[in-house]
Amino acid sequence: MVTKTEESQLNKLENQVDNGGGGAWEYLCLARKLKVRRSDKVLKYGLSILNDSRKRSSQGSDEWTLYEQVAVAAMDCHALDVAKDCINALQKKFPESKRVGRLEAMLLEAKGSWEDAEAAYSSLLEENPFDQVIHKRRVAVAKAQGNISVAIEWLNKYLEIFMADHDAWRELAEIYVSLQMYKQAAFCYEELILSQPTVPLHHLAYADVLYTLGGLENLQTAKKYYSSTIDLSGGKNNRALFGICLCSSAISQLARGRNREDKDSSPDLPSLASAALEKEYKLQASDKLSVLTSTLKCLRVSS
Amino acid sequence: MGLGFTVGVIGVLILGHAAYSTIQYRSLLKITEEEFSGPPMEVVLELLVGLLFCMWAALTVPGKFLSVHPHSDENRVVSLPENVDFMIFNHRGRAFSSEVGLKLKH
Repeated sequence: MVTKTEESQLNKLENQVDNGGGGAWEYLCLARKLKVRRSDKVLKYGLSILNDSRKRSSQGSDEWTLYEQVAVAAMDCHALDVAKDCINALQKKFPESKRVGRLEAMLLEAKGSWEDAEAAYSSLLEENPFDQVIHKRRVAVAKAQGNISVAIEWLNKYLEIFMADHDAWRELAEIYVSLQMYKQAAFCYEELILSQPTVPLHHLAYADVLYTLGGLENLQTAKKYYSSTIDLSGGKNNRALFGICLCSSAISQLARGRNREDKDSSPDLPSLASAALEKEYKLQASDKLSVLTSTLKCLRVSS
Repeated sequence: MGLGFTVGVIGVLILGHAAYSTIQYRSLLKITEEEFSGPPMEVVLELLVGLLFCMWAALTVPGKFLSVHPHSDENRVVSLPENVDFMIFNHRGRAFSSEVGLKLKH
């Protein structure tokens, strides 16, 4: 999870390194810890450390982790010869290592030779049938080739064994959303909320899926989950505030024909959310404030 | 940190001294055969001073306190980590060659 202070620290370090100040090693460590995908910067600054033999030896045993990080970044930026060199260096140091074997299979993937990568992963799996990362890489290969149904089937099989892997649940939810299978995506997000109830972004994604499904009950549940997102994030999540306004407007449109026996439990919730949004926009994007107020007025008028 | 530690030690010594003087006061009262109603005023003041010193040391010595609020800036989750295990490499970034001449030199 990337918190706000960590994000600002990462951006500050990135600016510092970009403008020529030192701190490349701290930037790389932070990027590795937070698992952000900034492959072009990692590649550039990682290579600058690795090419300088003095800086390289001063890192001690962390040098090999840096090789791995630079290899993956090079594959992401399609600098395949750099990746090959890093993997060769790692192989010289650690022959017969599964981790290096995995990197080699990833290099085959990056080159585009899917059958070779698939064969490499299968052979690695034969030696160790419960290696979680290899299972996930196989799913990634299927996804990269475009066989989404095969990817879903493998991912489901993986999740039957390793039910606690929330990264995999998140990936499955995103795949379902991309295929517009929203009911299944809602199930995956429910699993995520069960395992990590304090992360507001899962609540937000679940509320988005429910809002997309539509229907009065789903809209009411979506409104509840947008509210819990606002609660967990201290009111700083603009998307959830917008979600509340839209949900209230959609609910009142749907419920216009019927008698409103169960009138809104919180009738001033949308107006509070609009006020918070306007305050936030005044602070950060004051030139767009007029667009915001007219949009909110339309939502309230049509409701 | 050194100052807080010293203050803490002084506070504990003051409390010990207050305890000792209360015991002495009680034995004095036993000699004069009076009731022991409570420690004298000075000892009570000494106790309060020792309490303040110890509390101040207990709050400063352990170092920075972490925030408990889920929505403070240190704890607020802004973005989820990228799913590194499912990363695929055939994206459009392939068409942008970032910098020519990037090479591992050895």
